[in-house]
Amino acid sequence: MDAQTLLLLRRATYGPTPALLAEAQKLGRRAWLERQLAPHTIRDALAEATLKRFPRVGWSISRVREEYAADFGSWDVMVELTRATIVRAVWSERQLFELMVEFWSNHLNVTCPSGDVWDSRADYDRVIRAHALGRFADLLVAASLHPAMQAYLDNQSSTKDHPNENQGRELLELHTVGVDAGYDESDVRDSARILTGFGTDGSGEATYRTARHWVGPVRVLGFHDTNDSAAGGKEVAVRYLEYLARHESTARQIATKLCRRFVADEPSSSLISRLAATYLAHDTAVVPVLRELFSSKEFNASTGQKLRRPYEDMVATVRVLGLKPDTSGTEGIENLHWMILDMGHSPLSWGPPNGYPDVASAWQSPAGTLLRWNAHLNIAARWWPSTLTGPALATMIPKPRPSNHGSLIDGLSERLLQQRATKAQQVAICEFLSDENATVKPSTPITKDSPAIGWRLPFVVSLLLDTPAFALR
Amino acid sequence: MSIPSSAAPCLCPDASQGLSRRTLLRGAAATGALAAVEGVGAQYAFAASPATYTGDVLVVLSLRGGFDGLNAVVPIGDPGYLANRPTIGIAERALLPAGGIFGLHPALNPLKKYWEAGTFGAVHAVGQDSPTRSHFQAMQELERAAPGSSLRTGWLDRTLGTRARGSIFQASQVGSTQVPPALAGPNPELALGSVDSFEISGAWDATEHKRWTRALTAMHSGAAGPVTTPARAALAATATTAALAAATYQPANGAAYPENSALGKALRDVARLVKADVGLQVACVDEGDWDMHAGMGTADEGWMHDHLTDLAQSLDAFATDLGSRFARVTVVTLSEFGRRVGENGSGGVDHGHGNAVLLLGGGVNGGRVHGTWPGLSDPDLVDGDLAGTTDYRLILGEILQKRCGAGSLAQIFPGLSGPEPGVVKAA
Repeated sequence: MDAQTLLLLRRATYGPTPALLAEAQKLGRRAWLERQLAPHTIRDALAEATLKRFPRVGWSISRVREEYAADFGSWDVMVELTRATIVRAVWSERQLFELMVEFWSNHLNVTCPSGDVWDSRADYDRVIRAHALGRFADLLVAASLHPAMQAYLDNQSSTKDHPNENQGRELLELHTVGVDAGYDESDVRDSARILTGFGTDGSGEATYRTARHWVGPVRVLGFHDTNDSAAGGKEVAVRYLEYLARHESTARQIATKLCRRFVADEPSSSLISRLAATYLAHDTAVVPVLRELFSSKEFNASTGQKLRRPYEDMVATVRVLGLKPDTSGTEGIENLHWMILDMGHSPLSWGPPNGYPDVASAWQSPAGTLLRWNAHLNIAARWWPSTLTGPALATMIPKPRPSNHGSLIDGLSERLLQQRATKAQQVAICEFLSDENATVKPSTPITKDSPAIGWRLPFVVSLLLDTPAFALR
Repeated sequence: MSIPSSAAPCLCPDASQGLSRRTLLRGAAATGALAAVEGVGAQYAFAASPATYTGDVLVVLSLRGGFDGLNAVVPIGDPGYLANRPTIGIAERALLPAGGIFGLHPALNPLKKYWEAGTFGAVHAVGQDSPTRSHFQAMQELERAAPGSSLRTGWLDRTLGTRARGSIFQASQVGSTQVPPALAGPNPELALGSVDSFEISGAWDATEHKRWTRALTAMHSGAAGPVTTPARAALAATATTAALAAATYQPANGAAYPENSALGKALRDVARLVKADVGLQVACVDEGDWDMHAGMGTADEGWMHDHLTDLAQSLDAFATDLGSRFARVTVVTLSEFGRRVGENGSGGVDHGHGNAVLLLGGGVNGGRVHGTWPGLSDPDLVDGDLAGTTDYRLILGEILQKRCGAGSLAQIFPGLSGPEPGVVKAA
């Protein structure tokens, strides 16, 4: 497979699988990408069947409150949503769509689970999903006025006499124009005033309370409105959000974040500028921006520049090993979630409103590295989670069986990392396989009794997954 | 991993069902070792011979869930106390005298000798600048410790930023693999579930450990980078933990850590790291499950009693185990908020504000309760809560300056000003 297609697969999915490689080979790079950009055209049987095991994720806000009338504030639905998110990342065929859902979930972060959104967080996820490959302006309006965001950033307690500035500020700093866009405290105050009135009502649904809306002229950056009636405040807010979505600084922010997600930690400013221009030219539609990003020379030259974060590493591990959901029930998925939680990267769970960091420097840590290594072995050996199904590890051994250890390691490396092992890595794994009974070298023949294809196979696979090549996207 | 059986379910909105609240809060709050700041390059380049740190080892003991300072350091001389807590209030005759209007919960008895020796003390009515009753938000704010600023790093990370880079163990979370928000930021830290468990899964004996170490080292040979540098640090750290784990640890001076106590285990590991001279400067230890909305219990038994017993026994064992090293260790407890003054209908207390901070260590000005007591009569309360009269950052700031060699605090606690509470002696 050509290097550029491979790079696209590593970046636009949660990790290549043999089936994915075959599909991209068959369709070609461009057609594969177009297919991913039209996710509704992709059949998604395994993910959909598995998601039936997490039925509460589909409940409306009112249903959640009804079902938990006796246990108000329950975290069940939020926890289930997190697990459903992992299911989709691992087994959905709509991989780029899922990555974009993750991207926007972080950009417009509403921590899941967290207290105030127990009833509305699953519904918020549906909003993100509805617009993940649509127009940012639509997403911003829907997300900003959603009960989950209103609760998370305290706007539901905001009043005309005491506007709570939390959402008004984060809307500018994080969700749209960015902290350096040149706004000041009076802009922040007006931003908060514009949002007064929105919140949730006793039923947990979104509401607009005219009595709470601050009335009077408002000005934020280039946006201004007489805002002269409480009843009209609702439309002012929508106009304001759409103005922010179309702001040049927002375009740059979104473009920068997309580049940081898919290209490099420190993306080039020329690519950012081109993508920002595309975003504005297409009225904040995200698909044209992604199309341009993935066909750019900067993208094609970015091999090795993105680190897999812990969650991505775990998902890629399960995918590359071809593991499938439990035959029934959710134990294996839950255990996988614990593993990811232990690494501090449970999806949707970042605490502050800025979303999980997306640069290598934020994730490099000795403890995280050790957890990753240990998880590779635990998963490969099926020690934990032990109930996921799928082919035995031995099916990874190339057929016909390699004649010596060097070619076995190369074959496994091709299968797991889509590239051959380096000479030093081959030698290192052979040394690992050596003991007082036998010295193993790359040229040492493989026999049916060789530990490398027997009891040591999970270790060999794990060591290959521990290499920097696997740690990168 | 489930809600501890002792815990009545929390009725507050962020109660978890089926998952440990503590795990989730921590999962949400922090992460496997990360910076909350985009684009700040964390470098895991440790000096070959790390700069020698001569200050106290600071042990930050996080009492997560909202510690009830009022039933630990009891203002028995304030008539508002028993009036507000007719069922769960601790009667004067049961309390350990603590000077002035205060008495200590009897479960703190193992720490009485330190109180009398002047190495255990408390500050009362400690608060945060912008009180909130959300666990999650309060914890974030407490550990970010920069109200009114847009900083997204934690105070301990900023503290590390003022010093020369030390050893891999310089800042260690012990007892959990997750890094608390206080350590979030560009400076490196280590998170150890335990000394014994910080190991490579397949390395079941010394030979296998060597085998894995050699192989992993080779797999990461080549230039430094975001993958290889922390990998080398992890291998170096496992070399130390494996050596420590190889020798069965025997606490010194007859110290007896409470059995089946996560806190005891974590503090035992902290003592182990202190005594092994691995370069520890800051140790973070979490003790969860203080969210006592119902069934707190009494002076002799129940949830609060059992937790304080565990806390006191663990700290006593820790101090005993440290021996002469106790002179250069300072333990400080922090909690996201205190509880309401008035008890609720379930024999518990809901989320409140002002709280007690406990201090233990060779340099502590102990044997007394510091701070300004605001009183518990209705007009003195803030929304039914004990007022916060001492900003907790002033306590931390004084410890950092007097015991831990910090200079100006401007970088650590931006905008902080206020009188030194006088909680520790100059080193």
